[in-house]
Amino acid sequence: MARPGLEVRNLVVQVAGRKILEVSYFDLRKGECLALFGPNGSGKSTFLRTISLLQKPEAGEIYYQGQAVGPKDRERLQQKIVYLLQKPVFFRGTVRDNLLLGLRFRGIERKQQTARLEKTAELFNLRSLLDKFPHELSGGERQRVHLARAFILEPEFLYLDEPFNGLDVRFREELMSDFHKIRKVTGVTTVLVTHIRQEAVYLADRMAVMLEGRIVKVGTPEEISSAPDSSEISRLMGQEALVEGVVERADNGLLEIRGHGQTIYAFGRQKAGDRVVLTFRPEEVILAPARPASSVRNWFEAEVREIRPYDRMLLVLLDCGFRLKAFVSRSSVEELGLGPGSKVWAGIKATALSTWPDPKEIDSSGNEK
Amino acid sequence: MSLGEIIQVTWLSLLVSGSAVLLAMAAGLPAAVLLYLKKFPGKRLITALVNTGMGLPPVVVGLLVAVLLWRTGPLGFLGMMYTPAAMIFAQFLIALPLVIGLSLAAFEQVDPEILLQARALGASRFQTILVLFRESRMGQLAAVIAAFGGVVSEVGAVMMVGGNLKGYTRVLTTAIVQETRTGNLRSAIYLALILLALSFLINLFLTWLQQKGARRWQGPGWK
Repeated sequence: MARPGLEVRNLVVQVAGRKILEVSYFDLRKGECLALFGPNGSGKSTFLRTISLLQKPEAGEIYYQGQAVGPKDRERLQQKIVYLLQKPVFFRGTVRDNLLLGLRFRGIERKQQTARLEKTAELFNLRSLLDKFPHELSGGERQRVHLARAFILEPEFLYLDEPFNGLDVRFREELMSDFHKIRKVTGVTTVLVTHIRQEAVYLADRMAVMLEGRIVKVGTPEEISSAPDSSEISRLMGQEALVEGVVERADNGLLEIRGHGQTIYAFGRQKAGDRVVLTFRPEEVILAPARPASSVRNWFEAEVREIRPYDRMLLVLLDCGFRLKAFVSRSSVEELGLGPGSKVWAGIKATALSTWPDPKEIDSSGNEK
Repeated sequence: MSLGEIIQVTWLSLLVSGSAVLLAMAAGLPAAVLLYLKKFPGKRLITALVNTGMGLPPVVVGLLVAVLLWRTGPLGFLGMMYTPAAMIFAQFLIALPLVIGLSLAAFEQVDPEILLQARALGASRFQTILVLFRESRMGQLAAVIAAFGGVVSEVGAVMMVGGNLKGYTRVLTTAIVQETRTGNLRSAIYLALILLALSFLINLFLTWLQQKGARRWQGPGWK
């Protein structure tokens, strides 16, 4: 297999003597889009600055296209890498000036500048904005220009820090889908920092999950959703913590768990007597007017507490001795006649529940006791 | 005073003060860049000294330069005392802290993320410094205005190190003092008006440049 575009080994970054980043291995394949995914403050931006060669690590090696990066290579490599800050800061001048500045930094000749400007303006639909000043643009337009000034440089490596942050839903979806298309056309190797799961799942070929300065898991979005490895990753991937309980019986991986006065069935590696936390995705919860005869093992009689709009669905908050959330369509809510106080049966398949060791029983080194 | 003398005096004023400001920019702008970008021990002390220097009384600078250039002083061998070169040297010392201090203040108005973004778009170190100047050019112009205004109107230092020699080191300010002292109030008033007009025109030009830039580059909600 060809060497990856970028490899990182044993990287350590410290700020004021405190270790804020520690990555033992990371690789980026040519042409892929990798989402660096994690909560705020998990070290994503620092990692991005470090692989952009803008922040010197305290230790570790960075290899671009198989070659270790030394202090002399930085200026040369910086021509291949573009990193966009989270906040779209603009230079003095019009949108056109802002788009061209990076090309001027790189000493691209004038003819080529014009050609690239034409192409990028077309691709990002910016023709009408070229002679405007950044302060005259809307939030969505600014973000669009911000992205365009990275693509106009035709970099080999594109590093984006939360490029869709702070936009309202309509602009975000539009820009994300444009970005997706343009990225496919250009094939640029991309790292995208985000703390929003949908962005990562939609745009990325692979995801790297970051927690507290470490990359804790790398895989395709499907791999990470289906086998999240820990309750923290599971929660990050959009699974709700359901309930804590104690395993009463374990039979070939099928667990019978007692918690909050209910018996819950789930699959897991725990044994009888273990304390566990169960997580699930709200979209996996089924609602029914009466308990149906079905293969679904877990059915709870529940009372509706609240119904809230969420994206294009409705989020139904239920009480069945513990808190339960369900995503359902508007028409289902109408058909079931749901409203605060109404009774409903909530079902969830045993296979849709993930079981985790109770965090209170895990010591600080991450080992189960 | 004859017209020829007036022209000669006005020209020398422009030459001395203009040269002093240009030299102060040549030395002061790189110094301001270093003070802004580099971290080194004593940076705070130097910045404090620069800020103090911005309010330095011209007579004190005049005294310092006189001590240096005096025949028996450390630079006496240069024979510069009572020459236009000595006057330029003194005004350079007055303008230097103004240029460094105001230029530094202008740099500090620039969003540091702009510089990081420039680097991240592939700017070399030198190009990043150019971006820094480009982003702070309004403030840089203010520094030039203040420095020129400061030196063209001072009288103490040029009097002490230039000696106010007729036809050689006499400038507008020292000529005004001279004419007033000898009772030629009419001449003194003409010279004062020329000085005011000169100062006004140069400031008008620089302010025009600055505001033209402001209209073109800046607007509400910039960033």
